[in-house]
Amino acid sequence: MNCVVEGNCVKAFGKAIHALSRIGDELWLDPSVKGLALRSMNSAHSAYACFFFSPLFFQHYSPGSVSEQGTETMTCKLVMKSVLSLFRCLASIERTVERCQISVGTPKDRVMIQFFCRHGITKTHNLYFQESEALQAVFASHLCPNVLKAPARLFGDMVMHFPVSQEEITLSMSPLSVSLKNYYEGGDDHMKTICTEMSLHPDEFDYFQFGGDSDITFCLKELRGLLSFAESHSLPVLVHFGTPGKPVCFSVEDMVLEATVVLATLIGSESRGPSQPTETPAQTPLRCAVIPVGSRKADSDKSLDIPAMTEMVASSQGSPIFNPDVMMQLLPHIDDSHILDVPAEACASATTTPASSMICSLLFRAVSSEQDDDGCAARLPVLACYSDTEEEMEEDCTRSPSL
Amino acid sequence: MKFRGKIVDIACLNHFTRVITTISKLTKMCVLRLTPDNLYFVLSGKVANGGVSMWCELSQANFFDEYQMEGVSSEANEICLEVTPENLSRALKTVQSAKAVKIKLTKKHCPCLTIAAELPTMSSINRVVTHDVPVDVIPRRLWHEFKEPSMPDFDVSIYLPPLKTLKNIVDRMKNLSNFLVVEANLNGEMNLKIETDLVSVTTHFKDLGNPPWGDDASQDGGPSQSRDPDDMAQARVDIRKLQQFLMGQQVNPSKSMCNIVHQRILHLILLHEDVSLQYFIPAVA
Repeated sequence: MNCVVEGNCVKAFGKAIHALSRIGDELWLDPSVKGLALRSMNSAHSAYACFFFSPLFFQHYSPGSVSEQGTETMTCKLVMKSVLSLFRCLASIERTVERCQISVGTPKDRVMIQFFCRHGITKTHNLYFQESEALQAVFASHLCPNVLKAPARLFGDMVMHFPVSQEEITLSMSPLSVSLKNYYEGGDDHMKTICTEMSLHPDEFDYFQFGGDSDITFCLKELRGLLSFAESHSLPVLVHFGTPGKPVCFSVEDMVLEATVVLATLIGSESRGPSQPTETPAQTPLRCAVIPVGSRKADSDKSLDIPAMTEMVASSQGSPIFNPDVMMQLLPHIDDSHILDVPAEACASATTTPASSMICSLLFRAVSSEQDDDGCAARLPVLACYSDTEEEMEEDCTRSPSL
Repeated sequence: MKFRGKIVDIACLNHFTRVITTISKLTKMCVLRLTPDNLYFVLSGKVANGGVSMWCELSQANFFDEYQMEGVSSEANEICLEVTPENLSRALKTVQSAKAVKIKLTKKHCPCLTIAAELPTMSSINRVVTHDVPVDVIPRRLWHEFKEPSMPDFDVSIYLPPLKTLKNIVDRMKNLSNFLVVEANLNGEMNLKIETDLVSVTTHFKDLGNPPWGDDASQDGGPSQSRDPDDMAQARVDIRKLQQFLMGQQVNPSKSMCNIVHQRILHLILLHEDVSLQYFIPAVA
């Protein structure tokens, strides 16, 4: 892959990297005939971002190297910190860089990023990458009942009321208002934290589609990068969401690029106030990490075109998820008692038909290819829980989904 | 107990926010006393603060358009709350463009000062923002700890040089020593001195002027009046405390002065039109 980004666009590219760095520690660089996608996901798999640049964005763009014409292009997984350090100071990039060339494949294990700067200076950086399966969240935004659209500035004004350290906020939509409040988990801290709430009238939005009362809680920190990107380009932001537990999608687009951030939302965030006792001593609701990630096939759009698959994705809250080791390390709220096998109900719904079981396996293949299928799939921790079956959470599952 | 205030004027809101921001830089927590005429931010000198105490007085009429309060009882028509000024400051900063800001004492999950504002927007309906800042109500039996400090029987009182100049000097001296001696006399001369094994540095100020306290200040009329004008009164203080005081100041006061009780206390007074701030730093040996 070889592409050249010209002067002004280098700053936009850098800003995209800044936004992605808020999400995860690794950057997936995914070139294809349609354009270059930069993606990242956080370790808990509860936040995903994708910045997609069409060939028009580049001064020059060629996705695959000549010798590999017939094969799939390679997806490179890079360490975010390394890439971010190259684009860290956007002001100086704007001043000095005339163009930036990114090439993958020569030699095979390196991504070469070259900055051609003023005064004839060329800076060349070689970053080693790991070849990887492409990362792509499967999210059917057209199925979301609630939609908001507004200039980035409006969202910026909304979130500025919350301190930068605020982790999570709750967005509520009703026919007469849209409101944001900060979300705090119970405990002693709530005596000292400010509770902030702000609400707007639907008229303030460019587009307001009310599909049902909804209060979703998601991580604000991960979103700020996209909002700042959108504000710097004066782009409107689209928000798609549904009921609590389902992911929320923020997207911006213009003629040459599209950016999407998909965040998991807490399940039943409203119904579970600090006064309601839960089953377990740890009061925090389980975070629902329901960003189903599919392995990308040659045509990346296909996964969204199959209606049956997207229906499955949108409704199945019981999707067992990914690398159990990663999950167990990086989710501090969840202790062993919460880690369950998939309850029988979910297995049943996931595997009723041969077609759906095949789809399940397609969804999971990206991950399970790296593990042994020796039954440890049966003990994948379920992080996506469903709020109405809390009492059953303690049950062991005897049946495992067939993968 | 009830409290409800409303600020409509943008300049008042701005000024109020700046005062609270200054207080937030001086201390993490302090007591807010509300009376029918004034608001006081009080920090009582305790060992935990290093003996530093603060008294900041605001006249409510200069800030609030509407102000209603009902204290604990009719004889004790006051409310005493423990607050974290930084929370108040943060909440107020986000509503600087508001048409009106209401501050009320409410009870949510705990007693709170609720700051509610209406922000102007393009459409006809305003945006509403509320911040609930948790506070602690201070029981009446502890109120005696937060009384107005009496003016100490000082030896010398002198106007301060511009705070910015002082801050620059103190910042640099801090790199050399932990303790600073402030001394002044009735001739308008002031020195800032540090002394270590390796180095001693003194900054001299002249022609500062001495406030005409006259007879009110020194009750017994004796020592102050017959004091030799060249005689320096000094106080050796922890330099970080002085630096913290100077760092927080955001607005140039109309009058700034300090009173020194020889080897006991450094008493700093800043007067703006509608706010007065007093800060006491105890002297160390």
